[in-house]
Parts: sequence; C-alpha cells; structure tokens
Amino acid sequence: MTAPASLALERLTKRFRTPESREVLAVDDLSLEIAGGSFVTLLGPSGCGKTTTLRMIAGFENPTSGRILLDGTDVSRRTPDKREMGMVFQSYALFPHLSVFENVAYGLRLRGRSGKDLRAAVERTLELVNLTGLGQRRPAELSGGQQQRVALARAMAIEPRVLLFDEPLSNLDAKLRVSLRAEIRRIQQQLGITSVYVTHDQAEAMALSDLVVVMSAGRVEQAGTPDEIYRRPSSRFVADFIGRANFIDTPVLAQADGAAEVDLLGQRLRVPAAPGLRVGETATVVVRPESLRVGTGEVRATVRSSTFLGPLVEYELEVGDAVLVAVDPEWMGRGIHASGAEVAWSVRPDQAYALPPGQPAVPLPVDPDAAEPAADELG
Amino acid sequence: MSRRRAAVSILAVAMLLAACSTGTSNSPDASSSGSEVAATPESLTVLCTPQEDWCQAMVAAFQEKTGIDTSYVRLSSGEAFARLQAGADAPEFSVWWGGPADGFVAANAEGLLEPYVSPNAEVVAAEQKDADGVWTGVYVGALGFCSNTTVLDELNVDVPTSWDDLLDPALEGQVAIAHPASSGTAYTALYTQVLRLGGEDEAIAYMQELHPNILQYTSSGAAPAEMAGRGEIGVSVVFSHDCVRNIDAGFSDLEVSFPEEGTGYEIGGVALIANAPEPEAARMWIDWSLTAEAQEIGATTASFQLPTNPDAAVSERSVNLDEVNLVDYDFQAAGEARADLTARFEDEVAAKPAE
Amino acid sequence: MTAPSTAPAAARGRRRAIDPTIAIALAVGVAFVLVAIVWPVATMVATSLSADALPIFARYLTPPQGQILINTVILGLIVATVGTLIGFLFAYVQVRVPLPRWLKRFMHVTALVPIVSPPFALALAAIILFGRSGLITRDVLGIQFDLYGLPGLTLVMSLSFFPVAYITLSGLLRALDPALDEAATNLGASRWRTFRTVTLPLLLPGLASGFLLIFVETLADLGNPIALGGNYEVLTRRLYFAIIGQYDLLAGAVLGILLLVPSLIVYFVHRHYAERASVISVTGKPSGRPAELTHRPTAFVLTAATLLVSLLVLAMYGTILLGAVTKLVGVDHTLTFKNFEFVLFGYGLDAVSDTVILSAIATPLAGLLGVVIAFLVVRGRFRGRGALDFGAMLGVAVPGTVFGIGYLLAFNTPTEIGGLALFPKLTGNAGLLGGAVAIVLVFIVRSTPGGLRSGAAALQQIDPTIEEASVSLGADQATTFRRVVLPLIRPAFLTGLIYSFARSMTAISAVIFLTTPSTRIMTQQILNETNAARFGNAFAYCVILIVIVCVAIGILYALIGSSTRTERSAVSAAVGPV
Repeated sequence: MTAPASLALERLTKRFRTPESREVLAVDDLSLEIAGGSFVTLLGPSGCGKTTTLRMIAGFENPTSGRILLDGTDVSRRTPDKREMGMVFQSYALFPHLSVFENVAYGLRLRGRSGKDLRAAVERTLELVNLTGLGQRRPAELSGGQQQRVALARAMAIEPRVLLFDEPLSNLDAKLRVSLRAEIRRIQQQLGITSVYVTHDQAEAMALSDLVVVMSAGRVEQAGTPDEIYRRPSSRFVADFIGRANFIDTPVLAQADGAAEVDLLGQRLRVPAAPGLRVGETATVVVRPESLRVGTGEVRATVRSSTFLGPLVEYELEVGDAVLVAVDPEWMGRGIHASGAEVAWSVRPDQAYALPPGQPAVPLPVDPDAAEPAADELG
Repeated sequence: MSRRRAAVSILAVAMLLAACSTGTSNSPDASSSGSEVAATPESLTVLCTPQEDWCQAMVAAFQEKTGIDTSYVRLSSGEAFARLQAGADAPEFSVWWGGPADGFVAANAEGLLEPYVSPNAEVVAAEQKDADGVWTGVYVGALGFCSNTTVLDELNVDVPTSWDDLLDPALEGQVAIAHPASSGTAYTALYTQVLRLGGEDEAIAYMQELHPNILQYTSSGAAPAEMAGRGEIGVSVVFSHDCVRNIDAGFSDLEVSFPEEGTGYEIGGVALIANAPEPEAARMWIDWSLTAEAQEIGATTASFQLPTNPDAAVSERSVNLDEVNLVDYDFQAAGEARADLTARFEDEVAAKPAE
Repeated sequence: MTAPSTAPAAARGRRRAIDPTIAIALAVGVAFVLVAIVWPVATMVATSLSADALPIFARYLTPPQGQILINTVILGLIVATVGTLIGFLFAYVQVRVPLPRWLKRFMHVTALVPIVSPPFALALAAIILFGRSGLITRDVLGIQFDLYGLPGLTLVMSLSFFPVAYITLSGLLRALDPALDEAATNLGASRWRTFRTVTLPLLLPGLASGFLLIFVETLADLGNPIALGGNYEVLTRRLYFAIIGQYDLLAGAVLGILLLVPSLIVYFVHRHYAERASVISVTGKPSGRPAELTHRPTAFVLTAATLLVSLLVLAMYGTILLGAVTKLVGVDHTLTFKNFEFVLFGYGLDAVSDTVILSAIATPLAGLLGVVIAFLVVRGRFRGRGALDFGAMLGVAVPGTVFGIGYLLAFNTPTEIGGLALFPKLTGNAGLLGGAVAIVLVFIVRSTPGGLRSGAAALQQIDPTIEEASVSLGADQATTFRRVVLPLIRPAFLTGLIYSFARSMTAISAVIFLTTPSTRIMTQQILNETNAARFGNAFAYCVILIVIVCVAIGILYALIGSSTRTERSAVSAAVGPV
C-alpha cells in the first residue's frame, strides 16, 4: 500500500439556489488540512455545510470556488469516478440487484480485477468487516448493521486514497452504533486510510477522530483533537454543541499567563482563559456539569430538581437568578439531595474555561442540505 | 443480459448510421433511380385507381410477362391527383392506371403528365383517348344506382330510376356517395349534374338538396356499394360495375338501376407521369394495358368495366351502354372544372356539418 | 492520471469537467426534442401564420364551418365523460368489490385489450354489431339504430379510450390508505358518505387526469370519424380530406392549429392535476387491504355494469376475429382464410413486415431515449430540465395528425441550417429510405413519453446515493447507467418498450400522411380496406396486428424481464398513455 494521502481544502465555497430562487451559502470560505492517515470528523448541526463539504470532496458537488488538493494535486475538476475516494452513505446505497459479493466486487471489476484474484480480495474485505460467508445474500436479506458493513467493505475494497463517511451510523440503533463505530475506528487504524467522517453526533466524533472539525453556518468554528475541543472550546457554540455546559457571564478581574481571575457567582477563581481576553471585559465562563461539585464549597445553592440516572445524579441548582446543571457521579457515598434542599457547591478551577465576550447563542441556520436535491447549480 | 442489450442498441445505431449514409450518398433529387433507365427496366411503380384486386392481378400479370419488378399503390382518383401534386418535383410513380379521364385532364393541366401515344392506342376509339396522347382509355363504365332491395322494401321506396328519386324524404340518411374531392366516381356524379341540369349552380343546388339523405361521404368511390350491400343504407351512387362486383361477392340484395334522365360515365385512362423515374417500364405498361389480353383481366377479378380494345372479350355481366341513357360527358371540360367544383362542393354542400 | 493545470483561472472557471456521457445524452435528448418535435410543430405554426391562412381561419371559426370545431369539442367532452365513468367503474369494481379472481382477471384483460389493438378495429366491429343491419341491433333486438355520427363515435371511442382512465384510477384507488376509510367509518360516516366525502375527493385528481387524457385522444383520433362519423364532421376528418383529397397543406396547417390549441390547453391542465395525483399516490402508503364494498345490491349493480362493458368489448373483438375468418361477416359466415391469405401471403405482407420492422427499430430507440431523458430530468442538475421534459412530453400532448402535417411541411425538402445541410428530404417516396426514417422518427416521438414517464416514476423511487456509490467506486456515468440504473428501473424500461411497440404498431393519425409506395403501414392498409368497405381484409389485418403486439410483448418479457407480479403491475400501470 502506498503512503496515506493527505487532503487539503482551500477556501472552498458553495452556493446553492433553492427552487424558490433563494440563494443559500452552504459552505463559506472553508480551508482545512488533513494529514495522511488521519481520521477527521466534520461535526455540526444539520445545515452547517458538513455534508456539502464531504460531497465536494467526493466530487458530487462542484465548489462555487476554492480547490481540493489530494497529495498536492488539484482534483476539483475531476469527476467523482476519477477521484479514488471510497464513500459510505447514510442510506448504505447498496446495489439492491446485486449480491453482497457483487456489491463488494463492483469497484474491483471496474479496475479490471477478475477470477481468483477478485474472489480473494472480496473475501479478504468481507472478513475485515466480519461478514465472511454472507457473500451470496442480497442486501435486502441483511440487517441494518450488516448492510452498513457491506457498504464499508465495498468502499474499502477499492483501496481508496480517502474514505468518506456520510453519517453512516445514523440509521442504526444506539447499541449497534457504538459497536460499529469502534469497528470503523479499528479498521481505519489497521489500514491507515485517510478518512473524513460527517456526523452530528458529538459522541461519535469524540470516539472516532484524530481531528474534530466543528462547523456552523458553512464555516469552521473550531478544529482540534477531541480533548482540545472539549476542554478548550473556542466559542460558546462549540462548547454547547460538544457535550453540555453552563455559561456564566462575568467580568475579568485580573489576567495573566493564559488564565483569568473571575467571580463565579460568589466564588473567586483563576480559570484558564482564551487568548486576548482583557481585564474589565465580560467573559463567558464555560463550566461542564461534571466540573461542578455538589456538597462541598463555600457558596450555597438551592436544589431545584434532581434526576436519578443510574451511574450519576443530575441536579439543577438555583444560584440567585442563575440555574446551573451539575452531575454527581459519587452520589452513592453522599446520598441524593431532594428538591428544595440547600447545598454547598464549588467549581474545579482547572476545569472551567473563560471565553472572550460577545458569544452569540447557538445559531439556527437554514438547511441547505434539504434544499439540495432540487437546487440548481449557481454560476 | 447486458451484453445482449448492448448488441441490440449497437444494431439500432448501426441501422441509423446506415440510414444516414445511404441518405447522404443519395442526392435528394432521386437521380439514382433515373440512372437505371438506360438498361432493361428493372422496376415499375404504378399508381392504381381501380379496385385493389384488379390492381393486384394486373401487376402480377405484367410482372410475369415482362419480368419487371412491379409494385403499386392504390389511391382513389382525387387522392392520386393530390399525391402527384405533392410529389411533383420527385415523382414516386411512373404510370397512372385507371380512374376517370377527367382526373387525368386535371393532372395534365398541372403539368403532372407526359404525353405518350402508344402504338397500341390505334384500336381505341377516338372519343376514348386524348388526341395528344396525354391519356388513353383502358375501360369504360357507367354511373348508376346500387340499391339494397330489402332495405328499400322496409322503407317502402321503389328502386330509384331517376336522380330525383334520390331526393325522396323517405330516404333520409339512406343514401351514400363518395366525396368528390377524393373520388373520381363521386366527381363524375357531380359533373353529371352540371351537364344534366345545365350549370354548376344548379348542380350544387341539387347536391345540397340531396345532402340530408346522405349518410356519409366516403373517401373511396366504390365503398358505398358495399355499405348498401351490408344494409347500412338503401341506395348508393356508384359505377354500375362496382355494384355487380358486390353482388358477386355475396350481397344478393343489391340491384343495379340507372337514372332515366341520363347518367355520367367514365373512361378509365392510363397515362405516363411527367419526370417518371421509370419511363421505359411505364411505356411498356401503357402498351400492354391496351392489349386485349390485359383488358380481359378485369373480369377475372369481378371488375366488369367495358374494355376499350374492341378485340377484348366483353363479359356478359358488363353494362350494355346501348340500354343506358348517357349524358354527353365532356372529359376535358369536366377535368378543367374539377378544382373549382370540388372546392365549391366542399364549401357549400359537405361543409354543412350536422349538429 | 495527469494532474490538471492548477492555474487559478482554471479553477475559477466553474464549468468543471462534465461527465462526457451526460453531455452526449443531453445533446442527443435536446437535439431529438428540437429536431423531431419542436421543429415540425413550429413549422406548422409558422405556415398557419401566413396572410393566406387568415381566410381559412375565418372560415373555420365562423358558422357554418365553425360547427366542426364545436362538434369536435362536444365529441371530446362526451367521450371523456363516458370514458372516465367506465374507467372509474372498472377500477372501483376491480379494487373494491369482492369477486372471484378469474372474473376480475377477465374484466382486467378486457379493459386492457383496446390499448394493443388498431384504432378502428372497434369502429368496424360496431358497424357489424350495431349498425343499421347490425347482428345485435337488428337481428337480435329487432331495432334500427342509427350508429353513424355522434352515438357511434361515443360508443366506439369510449370503449377505445377508457383504459387510460381505468389504469390511472385503479392505481390511485389501490394507493389510497384504507385507514382513511376506516377513520371516516369510525367517526360515524355511512359507506356512501365515506365514498362521497373521502374516497371521491381523493380520486378527483385522477378523475380529472383521466378525463383530460381521453379528451385529447378523442380530439386527435382520425380512424373512428372516418369509419363511422356519418355527417358528424370533426376536425381530424376534415384535415384528412384536405391533405389526402386535395393536398392542401395550408388548410391542413390551419386545421392542425385548431386541433393543437385545445389539446395543449387541456394537457397543461392535466399536468397540473397529474402532479397533485402523484403526491397522493406517493404519500398514501397502504397499511392494509383496501376496504371492500360489502353492500350487496350496490356491488351487484356495479359488477353487472362492468361485466356488461366487458362482454361488449369481448363481443367486439369476437366480431373482429369472426370477420377475419369468414367470407362476409354479417352476411355470409362461410369459413375462409382468404382474408389472412391476402394479408399474410398477398399484397398485405409488405405492410405487415414494414410495420413490424419500423416499429422494432423505433421501440428500443424510444425506450432508451425515454429512460435517458427521464434520467436527465430526474437526476440532472441543469437549468431547463423542465423544458426538456415538457418538450419530450409534447409527443403525447400534440395530436398525431399535427405531427403528420408538421413533418410534411418541415421535412419535405432537405433540412438546412444556415446553408449547412443537416439531412436530406425525409418524407415521401424520394425521402430518406423511402420515407421510412420520417415514420420511425414519428414512432419514436409518439412513444418516448411512455418510457419517460415510467422511467421518471421509477427513478424517483430510487435513492440517488446508489448511483453516487457506483460513481465513487470508479464507474463513469455510462457504466453506472448501464450496470446500476438500468437494472433497477428494468420494469419501467420494459414498460417503455412495450408501450413504444404497441403505440408504434397501432399509430395512424401521425403516419397516415407519411406512408409511401415503398413504405406501407398496417394501420393505413386497414384504413384503405375500410374505405373500400372490405371488412374481411381489414379485420384480418387487425387480428394479425393484435397477435404481433402480443407476441412482441412476450418476447420483450423473455428478453428483459421476468414476469414477476410487481413488474406486471408496473407495466399495466404505465402502459396507458401518460
């Protein structure tokens, strides 16, 4: 196998025109570098442009402007069949008239493979996705999970330079999703294929990716490792979209060495801060529910509600006008506080993060993906 | 599976390509067929106006005698004329055989025919051929009434013996005649009225009076006879030989009669078509069609027109023109009036659509 | 693989490499619509816009000749009403009335036969059975019934065209969610009230669509008015006499316009309704068996009426068969094979073989063109695909006679554009291949819409990502179309082929002006034999034509599709003119 291909998106822009002749900016000046062999997830709410971006990489959409470079070669003008990119679709898109074997063999036959060689390659791929022995079945005779494995096998069989995934697990039930995503990660690492994966499920993105690209309104909100994205979200939008978060607006009292001193509803703390934050500005401090400790601390809150979730208990705490969400994984030792109870609380200072002012609430963009099928190309 | 489909589409494409290439090599003026003329003629296309089976028998006999590959298209007289007009610049046919001579006169006026005096035309009486050889008579037939006696009995109407008998209100919707625009038979009937009544206006007036009694103007001249035979109508106006033919076919209720005021008749002609693609073969056809042998073929297909060759045997089923009162039909005048008169018929008679 | 130039200019020129197959398909589709459909119709329109045409327009738009147009429209309205009612009756009984399988099958078959039979077969049979000395009217019932004119035309055309409404409505009735009926009943509505307030309103688009299609077909029909129009003059018959009798192309063009305008109006209205109808049939996922009509007296009356029509159709086709094997049907019923001899071994053979060959050439081309245009229209992402669809659909919206005139006007001389010869003269004996090319073109024009509609319907059911999957695996558009799309829409493709063949074999109005001495068409021979009142030969032609079409359908099934149930229903659902 040749070295994994790198992929670069340069200032990609895509405009659609809806049937009502409304113009929609689906992808807005997007640039991204993807290292060879890495697994990158495009994450965002529906309509953020992630699927459009993926389809531009695959060649199913023409960028309005910008370039796509595969190992430094511009492929923007290549038709999809010339791009050597395997794609796994949300709807599986298996050929219903062909057997599992023939589905997987399809791309290989187009590459002139035949006979024993073809058979061996197909069998090997089917083995990789744990479908050995199902080659003669028709897609309709398989379960959803099996069908998606076939789709994966079919895309991998051609040994593509890039594997593209368009929400491949969204039609499956929760348990299957978890086991299949582990399998996808295993296979990807085993083969070392550069992969781009689109999802709106942040847990999936976290579990799979080397790099998560959070998108909103056609732009990249933040690109980083799952850990970075979670711990150091670049915006309120990212923080809100990845996991859950409390947002507390408060003035910056002091600032030094990438940390800011703030008053968090009565607690004075030094928390890590985004660069550029200045004294006197109102920062938005992100506090994850698990970073709120219930039962210890100087300040007090009233329990508004408590929900028992098994491994943890979730609380809504009232502090003045603010409502904070906290989870307590150690409830077994402490017991559960009832609604109306007064409790002490505190924030683990190293786990909060201060964002610069002017963080907008989560935008609700129009959905260009939905308009796509009937939309005309622009220009 | 897919291979077979591919083969089929390849075949279809190949056919199209073949079509295009023959098309381009063939210049549009159809000179290729003209180039064959010098040698022995190989083929002939006849424009044939009499009944289909007579056409067939004639073509078969000619082909056997000469070895020329002969085909024909049967068109009613008016249709034939229209078709010749349509293809004037590149005629589809070489010879027009059969149909009333006025049709030939009208066609000649448009320059669609080419004179040819056949050596065999000598035997044909002078009034049965054009002096310049534009057309030559091959048969003669008289216009008559072809009635279904059973139907007329039910209607309590006698077999008509005069043109006025057709106007009987009891015959409403019980008469059929062809459309003079398409049929030579019907045009002969129309022009007979002109001669009988003394003018076009009078003829149109008569046809207007007749109109309520007409069930349908057919496009073929002989069709009304079969309609009468089938009992769909009481009386049809046709050439008497077309009636006899249907009696022979099994319509035993039919009876022929003639109008005592005088009736029209046709001289069926044969003519060479101008710029004919196969002029040599066409001349051979004309020569042959004037022989007694060729003129006796009609009777074998129940076509009992009278031959114009005096040597040809006359069937006893043919009409005896001595017993019928004929108007003094002028084919030249009839042919010249044809375009205007059929247009007037169309406008003033047939045009009155039933509501 | 060479790297394309990455100059910014090239990247900015957004016309990225279009798949060559798509480009070729698009070029072929557009050229076909422009050359074979738009150009001849436009030529006819242009001809009719000359100053010489004005008096002809005036003549046909004022009394007394104006009556012809009125007659035509009245006939259209009556036949459309009666035909839609019969179609609805058949559909309702088929879907909702509990009956033995064989009886339903029988009714179904009798409702489909008129589609695959030549245009005037029924007119001739009607004359024999119900004419003035008809076997039934006179010999059995002892009455004298005046068939010629409006009554006969209504009878014959309603029976010929009701299958269109039947197919549309039975599909719609099957697709109606039975839960709707159950909901209405559950709310306390009686059966009748449910029918009136739920079923009927939901069927309205289908009824309207059937009505309008029959209206157009009636307007365009040439054979029946010639065979038994009597003195009830209609536009098509007048047009026929103008061309065949007088070769008056100007009058032909004017009459063509008078036919074209109401047909197009009605077709636009139909499209509007058809779109609504398709919405209903797609959303209505049947969740159970259709509610059956359990009210016995009503069921009995409806069944009896349907059966009566079925038997009528059976009697008519029986007459055709009888007429083909007897000396003089209605007069002399001696068994004879001379009619068949005439058609199969005599003069008729040329016409039979010409018609079969030309139809067989047109069929795969029309079928392929239909699905290719469907593919472009459904999957294409270019402007003007709606226009492409509409242009191709003009093949059914424009009366056949109009194409006949249009071809005579447009293709009687070599076609040139700016002095550049495109192709030689197509019509007439001196036309390309003795006029055969023009006839095949008209066949294709008239039958492409069948494959187009069934193909489009099938494509809309197929997830486009299946094709994208194939492309991403390295297949170009041509390979994808051949290996993925075509197998998936095989039933629709088969439907298109069957539709094309049946329609080509039975075409008359469009080709009657285009036949030549070297290229004869069976339907025209039937018309000639009818005109000469030689019914025996006409019937023999009809029987042979029906047999050929049936055999061809069998062959197509054997070649292309296994006759599974779903495919069969897909076929019958789309065989009706779209």
